[in-house]
Amino acid sequence: MPSERPLAPSTLSVKDLPWQIVWSREACTLCGRCTAVCPVHAIELAVFRKRLLEPPADFGTVTAGATRSFYGIRQRTDPAYACVGCAMCNLVCPNNALRPVRTDEADKLRFHVDRGGQPRRRGGRRNVPGTVLDRIKFIRISMLTDPALDAGRHEFELRTLLGRVLPPEAALRHEREHGWVPPVREIYPLVIGGMSFGALSPNMWEGLQLGVAYLNEELGMPVRISTGEGGCPPRLLRSRFLQYVILQIASGYFGWDEILHAIPKMKVDPCAIEIKYGQGAKPGDGGLLMGHKVNRLIAAIRGVPPGVSLPSPPTHQTQYSIEESVAKMIQSMSMAWGFRVPVYPKISGTSTALAVLNNLTRNPYAAGLAIDGEDGGTGAAYNVSMNHMGHPIASNIRDAYLTLVRLGMQNELPLFAGGGVGKTGNLAANAAALIMLGASGVQVGKYLMQAAAGCLGSESDRCNICNIGLCPKGITSQDPRLYRRLDVDDVAQRVVDCFVSFDTELKKIVAPLGRSTSLPIGMSDALGVDDPRIAERLKIAHVV
Amino acid sequence: MSDIPQPGSEAFHRISGRLQGERISSRLLEEAIQRAVAEGHRRLHVEAFGQHGIGGRLRSADGTPVLVHVSGHPGQRLGGMGFPGTRIEVDGPASDDVGWLNAGAEIIVCGNAGNGVANAMAQGRIYIGGNLGARAMTMTKHNPRFEPPELWVLGSVGDYFGEFMAGGIAVVCGHEAQRPDNVLGHRPLVGMVGGKVFFRGPHGGYSTADARPAPIDDPDWRWLEEGLARFLRAVGRSELLRRLAVREDWQLLVARRPSEKKTLSVRGIREFHRECWDAELGAGGLIGDLSSADRGRIPVITTGELRRFVPVWENRVYAAPCEASCPTGIPVQRRWQLIREGRIDEAVDLALAYTPFPAAVCGYLCPHLCMQSCTRGAFGLAPVDTTKLGQASLRARPPELPPLAGGRVAVVGGGPAGISVAWQLRRRGIEAVLYELQGRLGGKFTRVIPESRIPREVIETELERVRRILPQVALQQPLGREEFLRLREEFDAVVVAVGARKPRSLPFPGIERAVPALAFLEEAKDGRAAVGRRVVVIGAGNVGCDTATEAFRLGAREVTLLDVQRPAAFGKERRAAEAAGARFRWPVRIREISASGLRLEGGEEIPADTVIVAVGDLPELGFLPESVAVDRGYIRVDENFRTSDPRIYAIGDAVRPGLLTEAIGAGRKAAEAIAAAFSGRPPETERRPMIDRQRVTAEYFDPRIVEFADVNQCGSQCLSCGACRDCGTCVAVCPRGAIRRKGLEGDRYAYEVEDALCIGCGFCAGACPCGVWSLRENDPMA
Repeated sequence: MPSERPLAPSTLSVKDLPWQIVWSREACTLCGRCTAVCPVHAIELAVFRKRLLEPPADFGTVTAGATRSFYGIRQRTDPAYACVGCAMCNLVCPNNALRPVRTDEADKLRFHVDRGGQPRRRGGRRNVPGTVLDRIKFIRISMLTDPALDAGRHEFELRTLLGRVLPPEAALRHEREHGWVPPVREIYPLVIGGMSFGALSPNMWEGLQLGVAYLNEELGMPVRISTGEGGCPPRLLRSRFLQYVILQIASGYFGWDEILHAIPKMKVDPCAIEIKYGQGAKPGDGGLLMGHKVNRLIAAIRGVPPGVSLPSPPTHQTQYSIEESVAKMIQSMSMAWGFRVPVYPKISGTSTALAVLNNLTRNPYAAGLAIDGEDGGTGAAYNVSMNHMGHPIASNIRDAYLTLVRLGMQNELPLFAGGGVGKTGNLAANAAALIMLGASGVQVGKYLMQAAAGCLGSESDRCNICNIGLCPKGITSQDPRLYRRLDVDDVAQRVVDCFVSFDTELKKIVAPLGRSTSLPIGMSDALGVDDPRIAERLKIAHVV
Repeated sequence: MSDIPQPGSEAFHRISGRLQGERISSRLLEEAIQRAVAEGHRRLHVEAFGQHGIGGRLRSADGTPVLVHVSGHPGQRLGGMGFPGTRIEVDGPASDDVGWLNAGAEIIVCGNAGNGVANAMAQGRIYIGGNLGARAMTMTKHNPRFEPPELWVLGSVGDYFGEFMAGGIAVVCGHEAQRPDNVLGHRPLVGMVGGKVFFRGPHGGYSTADARPAPIDDPDWRWLEEGLARFLRAVGRSELLRRLAVREDWQLLVARRPSEKKTLSVRGIREFHRECWDAELGAGGLIGDLSSADRGRIPVITTGELRRFVPVWENRVYAAPCEASCPTGIPVQRRWQLIREGRIDEAVDLALAYTPFPAAVCGYLCPHLCMQSCTRGAFGLAPVDTTKLGQASLRARPPELPPLAGGRVAVVGGGPAGISVAWQLRRRGIEAVLYELQGRLGGKFTRVIPESRIPREVIETELERVRRILPQVALQQPLGREEFLRLREEFDAVVVAVGARKPRSLPFPGIERAVPALAFLEEAKDGRAAVGRRVVVIGAGNVGCDTATEAFRLGAREVTLLDVQRPAAFGKERRAAEAAGARFRWPVRIREISASGLRLEGGEEIPADTVIVAVGDLPELGFLPESVAVDRGYIRVDENFRTSDPRIYAIGDAVRPGLLTEAIGAGRKAAEAIAAAFSGRPPETERRPMIDRQRVTAEYFDPRIVEFADVNQCGSQCLSCGACRDCGTCVAVCPRGAIRRKGLEGDRYAYEVEDALCIGCGFCAGACPCGVWSLRENDPMA
């Protein structure tokens, strides 16, 4: 930038930016890779003036020196081109000549990201590192008090139930009186949460699905994956792989006509139907798939014209109250598959979760409740919704479970917890903590983007540009120039690796509890935390 | 065998596990056994009552054979930590952990044994004449200093057999097995890393990740055959030897070596993708029916159509700021380019295509919007000095004129605007006749502008150039409406360029004492004006400044410029007035002008000998017919300078007071509009959008150059905004060698990008000194 440029309120220096490119003139080869790869054009080749001026050794010959120029990489300071810290430049640099470095103080860019009155929108998680789940430890190590098990040696059947589990006598009575009992699926307790076809690139989506199919068919792990709201490719609907899929329906109803048309041709029933009412990462905020991501393919799957932006409103238009809306949706979706498929709602973590839960306990068609906490990820949301709205999952799931306990229904209505599971990489520990707090299973999304596809996003606000279709790893882009960086098989392999290693870690946690064939759901005497307030709130042991 | 003493005989030292009918503790029995061995007994008969660890740890025998015969019910860990030389015999069954941590004892159990037999055994042999419970032969070792431990079982073993077996040999005969369908039990050999398992009979699977079948070779078989005989003899079932010693009935499992574990063949993802996924979904997988686009992996750095961005050589697509800001529309930067190319005459002559006054205006009188907008200035460099080029244009040669091709236009007013439109009309082959109202061509040039601002000969030279080309009629008397209407009839169009010569009046008493500025300047220029010692100029604009400068020239000692607001004067006029000593006062409100001076609101008096009013002028438009609309004293025109009467155009100060260059530019635009109207085509608008200055690279230039020696230096320091200077920097900078210069016909050329090489890094755009290269988003891919 010319130093003579006029000063405007949003005139920023490199120092004002959250990510600063540190570039070494010494190491740079001027190969052009970094500027070619930068998703947001934050860097460019520039000409720098360099004055060569030497102090006079002899005042008889004072010279003005010479003005020279050199080429180098310059970081742009226009807020529209601010570096997002993805570090793709560093990835492609053959000489490690440049990298983004996080500013050492609160950046100034944050005050200027609302040009045109448009508040900041982004993807990722709320920008708060850490999670209370990481503080929970497993304190019940049953070396001698229970038959201790060996995670590496013993057989484990770590399965959970998705569906309404009636008490035996009620089940018999139901069967006798109604000729029907609620469908129940025995599934792996780590579920891949809803990420839509459209939000994710085709290669990412197919990679996840392929990995899930492999886990089921080659490794015998009954892993399930939610479609997210964006429809489902017709071929998948008509394949045997549908049984591994949880079809999500949400307020946008994208692709549901295709799903209905496919029902008569389905070889198998889907695992379940998830009714999305809210997303933990952005409670009260709807979805928006920008028009430039709605290409011909996405349009075909979603059943809309190409090139238009697709809002998923934060609310369903035809639903007006808990009683009315939940019952109505569960009925409709159950009917679609002849009451053979479990149907459950997914809500964002909220102080009103218990009201929903209470309602579900009285509805025999409700197959469970998924609660998505504030640490979840999203592809696109308003920053304010992400950073400042939502409810932590730990206390929400705990309250819900203890409510079920009070009703004596803790084994009847499974709770699924999501939102920040594995946020800091501790997937199994976080999942096990939630399970012992009362979840029957956990949902995970963002973790898999990181682990299975190398997502660069972080809670230090790195990258997080999922919403603009420029994902440098090709995870959330519909541009073949970007998503073809991602190989379907590689993603699938990573999904498999993640689940298999998660399985081992989960066994390491539950084996000392003497559990091998049933998950320690709600086994909160195994949990401890070093903070008395957390302990009191979650009703677990305070250990120091 | 008769020479072998039988238990119960005198040869055996008898130790009972009961004392006076009560079971003694395991500690007391252990002490009794250890004491007996220490005392030299080598044949013991222990009557067991569930005591722990019988027969183990007989260290004091020091390797000499000790026989421990156990009757009754041995407790757990029979022979635990057994020593070499110890032989333990049990007639019936035994409890859990027989031979636990066995370090060399031979333990014979004729009946069944419980769980955990041989757990962690490292040496010795265990013979079991029945079946075993769970977890036998687990964690066994083979220390290379000793023979491997052995476990022989006549029947079957229980679940989780051989877990973490690290050495030793197990033999499972499967005879009268407790589980005839599965002699190895459930999930055997998990974590096995060493040793061998011979077995006979069916099995229900084992950990194939850890163990593998192996052929039984001759040494194996000899070992097994000999061992079998010994085992059967020990457990008293020698009659079975013939039945069991059938080589083909036996199988052998051995631990996989680490290298073998790695080569386990399971179906990989790629095979699964092909053989299961695509087989079920169809070719192309999940969306193969919806899209045939290639989704295969591409590198991060791509070329050709896979580039996200492509460079474009946008030579002369955008106008340089100097050109874009020149109201006359002179392609200033093109002229500097011609100078760089050594074509100085062309550069000079080019101006006359745009203005008849390149020397007078560009060289002297213009405030030089071109220089004010020069990109160099935006980057802290001295703008290229246009005055040098302007002054050089005095010798410009007029362009060759086309023959008159019909159409006649009367131009009323021979000032800068009128001359410009006539000049431009003539250049387009249209006859234009100049009607000069003041009897003298040149308008402001000749009448008003002080000679301090421009040498008289410059004006005269340029006017002479005009006179040679354009016919003129000097009107001797003021133009009336009738004459004007006659011109309107006589000509195909009339252009009104009469300027603004009627001073604005001010509404305070005594204004009639003041002299209008234009009249003063005219008189001053003609040498007819005189001023007093103290002069007050009302109105501190540029005309006021010229007035002040002239007043000083004519002998004034004090000149004060008054204004009601911040003085609008700028540039050379203001600098000249200030240099001469003019003082500016604002804001002031004048109440009246008297003979002695001015009185201000508030009562202050400013003494003045001469008062001059310079608050602007209005055009004299009495001659205009009703058909020409007037707005607040000025003629109303459209964007082509056409008035409400379609045959009448108006330009210059009669339309809007402005700069000379604006009047000249208006003449050029009006001429084009008239020419277009005559031939029934839309007017050409030659204006290109102005280049974004940020595209231009000033860093190649030295900011310490603040003055230019001559036009050649000006040319070399011009940034050439938006126009290729053919320097080849892009070719040199491109990291992939993807840019080439291509010569075209004549001296034309183009720079081209080889798509197959280009990675879209934008280095060309970043390095281009002129901002010609830009990086645009590649076309979307399906």
